[in-house]
Amino acid sequence: MSNKVIIYSFHTQKSKKVAEKIIEAFGNENIVAVNAEELTSEIFEKNDHFILSAPTWFDGELPNYWDEFIPELEDMDLSNKTFAVFGLGDQQGYPENYCDAIGILVEVLEKCGATIVGKIPAGGYTFESSRALRGDHFVGLPLDQENQAKLTGERVKRWVEQLKIEMR
Amino acid sequence: MNELEIPRIYSIKTTDKETLRKWLYLMIIGRAIDDKAPNYLKQAIGWSYHAPYAGHDGIQLAVGYHFEKNKDHIFLYYREMLTAMACGMTAEEIILNGISKATDPSSAGRHMSNHFAKPEWNIHSVSSSTGNHTLHAVGVARAIKYYGEKAVAISGQGESSVSEGYVYEAFNGADKEQLPVIFVIQDNGYGISVPKKDQTANRKVANNFIGLKHTRIIHCNGKDVFDSMNAMAEAKRITIEESKPVILQANCVRIHSHSNSDDHLLYRNEMERNYVQDYDPLGKFRRLLVRYNRFSEAEIEEIEQEARAELKLAHKAAMSAPDPSPESIYDFVLPEPYVSEIYPDGLHNEHGEKKKLITGLNETLKAEFRHNPDTFIWGQDMANKDKGGIFNVSKGLQKEFGEKRVFNAPIAEDFIMGTANGMSRYNDKIRVVVEGAEFADYFWPAMEQYVDTSHDYWRSNGKFSPNIVIRLASGGYIGGGMYHSQNIEGSLASIPGVRIVYPSFADDAAGLLRTAMRSRGLTMIMEPKALYQDPKAATVIPDDFEVPFGKARVRKEGKDITVLTYGNTTHLCIDAANKLEHEGFSLEVIDLRSLVPLDEETILKSVEKTNKVLIVHEDKVFGGFGGELAAIISDKAFNLLDAPIKRVGSTFTPVGFNRILEKAILPNAEKIYKAAKDLLDY
Repeated sequence: MSNKVIIYSFHTQKSKKVAEKIIEAFGNENIVAVNAEELTSEIFEKNDHFILSAPTWFDGELPNYWDEFIPELEDMDLSNKTFAVFGLGDQQGYPENYCDAIGILVEVLEKCGATIVGKIPAGGYTFESSRALRGDHFVGLPLDQENQAKLTGERVKRWVEQLKIEMR
Repeated sequence: MNELEIPRIYSIKTTDKETLRKWLYLMIIGRAIDDKAPNYLKQAIGWSYHAPYAGHDGIQLAVGYHFEKNKDHIFLYYREMLTAMACGMTAEEIILNGISKATDPSSAGRHMSNHFAKPEWNIHSVSSSTGNHTLHAVGVARAIKYYGEKAVAISGQGESSVSEGYVYEAFNGADKEQLPVIFVIQDNGYGISVPKKDQTANRKVANNFIGLKHTRIIHCNGKDVFDSMNAMAEAKRITIEESKPVILQANCVRIHSHSNSDDHLLYRNEMERNYVQDYDPLGKFRRLLVRYNRFSEAEIEEIEQEARAELKLAHKAAMSAPDPSPESIYDFVLPEPYVSEIYPDGLHNEHGEKKKLITGLNETLKAEFRHNPDTFIWGQDMANKDKGGIFNVSKGLQKEFGEKRVFNAPIAEDFIMGTANGMSRYNDKIRVVVEGAEFADYFWPAMEQYVDTSHDYWRSNGKFSPNIVIRLASGGYIGGGMYHSQNIEGSLASIPGVRIVYPSFADDAAGLLRTAMRSRGLTMIMEPKALYQDPKAATVIPDDFEVPFGKARVRKEGKDITVLTYGNTTHLCIDAANKLEHEGFSLEVIDLRSLVPLDEETILKSVEKTNKVLIVHEDKVFGGFGGELAAIISDKAFNLLDAPIKRVGSTFTPVGFNRILEKAILPNAEKIYKAAKDLLDY
């Protein structure tokens, strides 16, 4: 199977809306939505392409549903699978940890052998530091519904176009 | 900044089941008490102050788990109930503290609830002045390092108290001395209702200190047991193996209001209140245990039942424990002082060469440093080659006793005082002498620690005595002006828990210093700096001289007026008395030497003879210690008085710099002479 799977918490509001935009941008083809709060390792075993939602909580933490899944995730072999991570953060309120969760999750995925796609140039953002930043690129798609909500639509569209190529 | 790589010693998959069970049990019983505490207030039983810890569970469990009793030293702030229990305190002990019983191990009901301590295990008694025990942790860490012990001092605080200046003093001092101390900052985003953004610009407050050269900074998720355990394990390794301080900031949530006198509904919206519940560390730990098949729901239920049963028994035992008795209030204000067997009245008849007051102090310091190898001294401008204090009182000490016992402190009076308190917590043999400030009137920044230290013996119900001597160069007559010439004993004497002595002559200065350095408890020695080198204060000093506290000395006998004085003005009173003697009057000049405790017996005996009292001191008349003397005499000897009690002292102004102003402000022999003449006319 080569279905694309998008994983996000169905209980969220802002992340959920962004996830729906992503699904829409993919044209509703071959993309399955999975609730991150009911995640099992089986989902990862059975699919090849993943889009994960990792909003940043507090001063740079993963949400519980990811944090509690990580011990399970760490044991998996994710070679030959591609992952793209997006996440919401707040550049003004939490500039020291802007979208850290994307970086934390990507680090774990990389240790499992995953291929990370959907890296984007870091221009157009204003923050102090981010674990999602490597050189002049983010390792995923950071979004900011608090301060740059107007840019989200375009950013998502562009990102999905990139993923369509990188996840072939 | 680069985050330190934290080794993963603990994880949900690898930590042994017995350990996990212990942690879960503590978290469950702790939370049960945390939730139950407000009920004691509602039922008017007590526990009027409760700061719930819910949301801090991960870091508190980790801190307590890494504390080794009787070896490490720990200072808990008022929200650290689970830390206390993870350190080994029982549910019953927690409730005894909460409802202020006589058997409360923290303070026997003397200190506020939620101030958990067990000094016999090195869980130290702490102040409500949040963050002030960072200085105590630095002090005790200094002792740990000096005595070469492989142990650590741990200090807990909320992120808001990091705004306090003395916390910077503590962090800076620990860094400079490279001490084995862990400062744990439990960050729940609020100081009562004040959000973090109103405290400091940096959300990660620990990062305000990244410039400290030797200090390691660690951030962890205080809501997560394993992340907190790993962070604490690494912090302890760094402090012990590398002897470097660590600032560990743990991100927590505050699930409830600040305390039962706060209502977070007034300033937190529903969404926030809900999401902090979602991030309940106990809920997360339980989910992990079940998800990774470490515990079944049934096993957890069994642990909950066990905890409920223990709590029930603890509650019952605490409720039937005795209350403190009203008669006990005078216990443990001050420990019994050293008793002089050779000089029970602090008098001698030695003949020989006279020594200056400064020499008396210097030689006594040296003699006592030889006598007790666990004696230390620090202060400002204290020890650099031939320099020993601003007036060179401690000259030569560092050369003889080394840099580890005699050293300079940063220019931070509260640090000087606070680390003295902390170091003396290490054991009861230690004696610390501090030059509290360059001049007495620079001492005010240390008042926070002075007041706190004055509480310690009483607050701990006699379990901890801060064995400290504070030396302060006091008073004027040097053309020094403000911050260099004023007297502060009038303000200090209103604070119980400290002995205050104020000698006028070299022998008494030496004798009082020796007694202070051999006594347990806190003693303040005000040194009249104008007399350090003055020949009129020079006396013969027996090598072993001792002056007990609370023993005045009659410097000149007389029958017409009792003159009560101390410090610089003793000499002025003697001058005035000598002048009046030529006019046929005899004044009895009593040098009090010790203000707290006070020799009431000698005073009243003299008043019985003279029936007139003149009180003279250098401090202001208004609000000065003389007011207390006058009140005592009016109360106890009104019938003996033939005239109103008269007082001479400074004007109710600061002390001016220009000699003309200083002269107009301070008392002198002429002013005393005139006041005495007025009294004689009655």
